[in-house]
Amino acid sequence: MEKKLVSVLAVSVAMTAFLAACGNGNDNEGSSASPSASESPSASPSASAPASESASPEKVENFTVSLRHIQIGDAQKFRKAILDDVVKQTEADVPGLKIELDGIEDNVNRFTKLPAEMAAGNPPKIFDVFGGAGDTQKYAKAGRMLDLTPILDELGLKDKFLNGVLDPFSVDGKVYGLPIGGNTEGIFYNTDLFAKYNLNPPTTWDDLIKAADTLKQKGVTPFAVGSKGAWVPNMLVNTFIGRIAGENTNAGFITGASKWNSPDVVAAYQLFADWEKKGYFTKGELGKEYGDMLNDFVAGKAGMMFDGSWRSSAFKNDAVGAAIAGKVAFVSLPAIPNGKGDQTSVNANYGEGYGFSADLNDNELKAVKAFIKNMYSDEMQLRGLLEDGVLPSMQLSDESIAKVTDPIVKQVLDVLKNAGTTFPHFDSVVQSKVYTETETQLQKLIANKATPQQVGDAIQKVQDAENAAAAK
Amino acid sequence: MKTTLRNPYVYLLFVLPTIALYFLFFIYPMLTSVYYGFTNWNGLDTKDFVGFDNFVNAFKDADFRNSIVNNLYILLFSCCVQVPLIVVFSLLISSVKRFQGFYKTTVFMPSILSTSVIGILWGYIYDPDVGLINSILQAFGLEPIYFLADMKWALVSILITNAWQWMGFYIVLILAAILAIPKDIDEAAMIDGATGVQRAWYLTVPLIKPIINVVIMLSIAGALRVVDIVLVMTGGGPAGATDVMASYMVNKAIKYGDYGYGTALSIIIFAFALVLTALYQILIVRRQEKVEY
Repeated sequence: MEKKLVSVLAVSVAMTAFLAACGNGNDNEGSSASPSASESPSASPSASAPASESASPEKVENFTVSLRHIQIGDAQKFRKAILDDVVKQTEADVPGLKIELDGIEDNVNRFTKLPAEMAAGNPPKIFDVFGGAGDTQKYAKAGRMLDLTPILDELGLKDKFLNGVLDPFSVDGKVYGLPIGGNTEGIFYNTDLFAKYNLNPPTTWDDLIKAADTLKQKGVTPFAVGSKGAWVPNMLVNTFIGRIAGENTNAGFITGASKWNSPDVVAAYQLFADWEKKGYFTKGELGKEYGDMLNDFVAGKAGMMFDGSWRSSAFKNDAVGAAIAGKVAFVSLPAIPNGKGDQTSVNANYGEGYGFSADLNDNELKAVKAFIKNMYSDEMQLRGLLEDGVLPSMQLSDESIAKVTDPIVKQVLDVLKNAGTTFPHFDSVVQSKVYTETETQLQKLIANKATPQQVGDAIQKVQDAENAAAAK
Repeated sequence: MKTTLRNPYVYLLFVLPTIALYFLFFIYPMLTSVYYGFTNWNGLDTKDFVGFDNFVNAFKDADFRNSIVNNLYILLFSCCVQVPLIVVFSLLISSVKRFQGFYKTTVFMPSILSTSVIGILWGYIYDPDVGLINSILQAFGLEPIYFLADMKWALVSILITNAWQWMGFYIVLILAAILAIPKDIDEAAMIDGATGVQRAWYLTVPLIKPIINVVIMLSIAGALRVVDIVLVMTGGGPAGATDVMASYMVNKAIKYGDYGYGTALSIIIFAFALVLTALYQILIVRRQEKVEY
């Protein structure tokens, strides 16, 4: 008995010492332990190790900078590769720097982790962030984010961004975040299935409805969707609102110029509810994740899906959607009969990018500058477009854009070129409480627990309260 | 040395660090939580005192009321379905002659697994396309059931998973009590000609009543506290059908960033648990006499 106790004690002491040693190693220096082993399991193994070794010659102070990204999983591998290269280059540029990558799922980062870190005041030094009143602007007003205006001036970047794309990331003329690229949301459809059932491409409303009805009849889900996270069906709702109630509606919610319970917005929700009733969406969608939506579409269980143009890279030959590579096309939502908005208008978002902690020392500031310089360059913007189908947020020359060969990306660019005007997604406009309410209410609508009018009323109630609070 | 140990202040000195830690990590956060419950703090901006607004809003909030009802369902299920089942299983296992250890270990196994593992495991069992249950249903030509996506099924599915996870733990508790009953009582009854069912119902169950009470009380506390399995399996969805008080609070506080309101909700949950367990103690447990063999 006694012996046992002694050995248990010994083991626990040893464990404590071991753990303590680990803790120290991570905190103080990146050079002692294995520099690359701990993070980014999905990264290519060569990503960071050689760079950090060569970048630490004699007597430079080693320091680490944390970087939160959302490029996890196979579908994001092209973007991850770009990020890895930028990280590598930045580490080479700044002596002693080691960037610690921390990959987290998009929604978890945006709605759970980052808000909690912001509340506690310890966000990562570099992090993926969305623009708008619910994200960047809220954090910037609370003094949590670094004012990038002087850095942009120093690097001469300010005028290189497209018109207006910095607005959701700005407060009082100061820039707090930089959009990495843009996207538009539209319909991906399986050309094989459409040919098999003799359907026209869904470019007119009648063709779209006919396609949906026919697919439904043949036992194929018309639209794949995964509504466990309600932001997924919210994409379609957003475009319905823009088209039916007008392209300025989404931007007008926070000023009171448009209302969620106005007849037009309710009509948009009604259209969604009608589609729901007709069985146009995946069965059991409330239990399906966003990834399931792509899987169903790739497996040919669904003929169409309404998704962001960022998904185009999933249909390359070496990507998750390789099974239907070359059999996918992208169109914007066709003109909705009796819609009030410009029926050529499409949604365009430059909502996601990188932000930086306000709490930086000199070294970290250097690292941030180098990161911005490397990430927001013509080269990386073009790579994003060519390799990943991300629309550039910065001006690219026509000959650069002409290099695009991917057919879906070309279609995406065409959709934007043919669009009379664009409107933002309301998630980058409204306050986070309002946005969360849209998700809650939309799930109720899908579950048939609320009518479109009730949905509109409930969201408007939160919107009124938030607008009143903002006016104070 | 002898005189030092007689000095009461020395003892105080020894417990002081612990008390300090207790204050730092328990008393202080609790007091600040109560304070936050009366503010509109969003985690970032300044906090304003809003009086009882949060509490009033909570009871006006239909979604929160719905989550209270869900908690009550879980409570009823664990007290009225789970506990009787636990007792039956314990009685069965206690009279098994061979491999009793095997049964004990098997039923106890789920409660050493982490809730996330169980949630994901059962998520696959319930999966509409590849799940175990639906594969069986489809083999019989039945339509698949969307367990976690259907408003009607989601809560039931979670209740079953939760019961599967925790029953083993309680079974082992009750089993220990049954095995502690002196054998001669049982043998005396057997000689008098009592059947197995009679012995179980009229002898064993009354003798293990105190431990059943403990199990019921733990079940009540557990039912009010349940949140992890909900967050892992459905996140409160579909459309709030499985939201319990705690998951609603987590979503409000963390996802909305509405820390003031979230803290108020947590105080309400605390009050609920306190009142219910106290009621149970006063109404049921106190009235019972001690069991003596």
